[in-house]
Amino acid sequence: MLSLCTLLSLIFCLFSLLEAKSSTGNSVLVVLDPAAQSQFSIFFDGLKDSGYELTFRGPKDDAPLLIEDDIASFAHAIVFASDTKNFAKDITPQNLVRLLSLNTNLLIALSPKQTMLSSLAAEFSLILPPPGTPLISYFPERDERANVIPISVPAGSPLLTPNTPPVWFSGVPFVLGNNPLIVPILNAPEESFAADSDSSTDTLADAAEKGGEGLWAGSQLGVVSGFQALSGARVTWVGGVDLFSDEFANKEISKGVKSGNKQFARDVAAWTFQESLVLRLEDADHHIVNSTISKEQYTINDHILYRAAISRFNPKDDVWEPYSDIKDMQLEFTMLDPHIRIALPPVAGQPGVYSTEFRAPDRHGVFKFVINYKRKGWSHLHHSITVAVVPPRHDGYPRFLSAAWPYYAGAISTSVGFFLFSAMWLAGDVRQLKKSKSHKTE
Amino acid sequence: MVPKASPAPPKASSNVVLSLWKSYNEQTSDRLRFIDAFLFFLMLTGIAQFIYCVLVTNFPFNAFLAGFSSTVGQFVLAASLRSQVNPENKDEFKNVSPERAFADFALGSIVLHFFVFNFLG
Repeated sequence: MLSLCTLLSLIFCLFSLLEAKSSTGNSVLVVLDPAAQSQFSIFFDGLKDSGYELTFRGPKDDAPLLIEDDIASFAHAIVFASDTKNFAKDITPQNLVRLLSLNTNLLIALSPKQTMLSSLAAEFSLILPPPGTPLISYFPERDERANVIPISVPAGSPLLTPNTPPVWFSGVPFVLGNNPLIVPILNAPEESFAADSDSSTDTLADAAEKGGEGLWAGSQLGVVSGFQALSGARVTWVGGVDLFSDEFANKEISKGVKSGNKQFARDVAAWTFQESLVLRLEDADHHIVNSTISKEQYTINDHILYRAAISRFNPKDDVWEPYSDIKDMQLEFTMLDPHIRIALPPVAGQPGVYSTEFRAPDRHGVFKFVINYKRKGWSHLHHSITVAVVPPRHDGYPRFLSAAWPYYAGAISTSVGFFLFSAMWLAGDVRQLKKSKSHKTE
Repeated sequence: MVPKASPAPPKASSNVVLSLWKSYNEQTSDRLRFIDAFLFFLMLTGIAQFIYCVLVTNFPFNAFLAGFSSTVGQFVLAASLRSQVNPENKDEFKNVSPERAFADFALGSIVLHFFVFNFLG
């Protein structure tokens, strides 16, 4: 019985392994010259096996449209037609940017030629070298041309599979601007530089004369770089389309070791299509400590408990699972400025729940509970709840304080004194009256 | 308000005070001295509250205002009563009989205490 169960679950696991899916949809438009389609069969078959539905479109075909009636037709788009100068009427930089605001993910390949895509890259803070200058490196020594370069994959990157072998790259590098939304994925090797392949030695000699000025070189150059828009849509810019090709995927990086291109391309696509590193804030609530009712307004100095539930997308099972591994999330209680900023740690024993307690500031006004968790590669968590913080009501203040007893005693003694004084005054009057009467009678 | 000092020439400061006290006791009627005693009591409680406010705390401030102003207000009312019932001021208050003066004093005091206790808590 037990073995049957494990067998069934194993089969289920295998089945679900094949069905890796995106969190935003499975339809993909591939803009690519039909003649070049067969060059990328390994990459495209990998996507199909993961459950994506690919639709191919030549760069000059009129259909299918990217955006129809203001609705994006596809959940993701791949633009591999990097050498094309003239695209169909609806494939414009404006429309590609609009796709992002419609939450469509883009995977775009660049080429050393000056095209519409290379000018669009500048809008994403990627600064490209002059046209016709691909990345070149003479290290390590190899049989290939100087612009086909093995690049080792960074070890600590959260979006790449660890221990991926180096990948083959051929294409254009770019300088990463200081836009905080950029997610560097793969950088150029230290010894590489951008130059015209025919006159690379001249370029080096010129640059050496100028002390290195004007040379596009070094590991600060990016070759694969992500960009996550504020809407959550992701774009990945790849310096050369060959990274995804069958040729590079099958090429050996060293004797007997296949290159990591296939795995790397799959990882990049998984990140771009919002399979990996996707977080979602399920719900958030707040209430006074020792109470369970959520309030619209709090009184100054109230003790408030804030709770948020966060889940992460699991592409294997196509489900959102509670996620408790965020250690550096913070909660802010802001009125223009954060009056309070404290850690929002996960609650032990409750998966996906983060909670913290704090005292409302001694300041009334309209406050917001703000979670603003933005980490490179991870989808952004931004959430705010507006509440009012008011001073105590007229009967909400403490009364009869011990510090005020001298004043109470003063007031009471004055009143008692007044009554005694009045009574004695009147009594004295009567006595005087009697006295004067007795005087008269005598 | 201050009783007149005796015309005897002062020999020393202690003698002055003593003679002042003596002539006050001799020349002031019992009723006025009774009012003076009440005034003295009010002054002491007022001073005590003020010292507490300065040295310890003025929190809650409304309680201080209520307690302190009750003594001050009562002092003013009692002082008015004293000047109205003083036989020496008879010419100034021709229309005010001592009974009328006391009724005014009582009414004013009741209104004062009403406000004080409202403000105290």
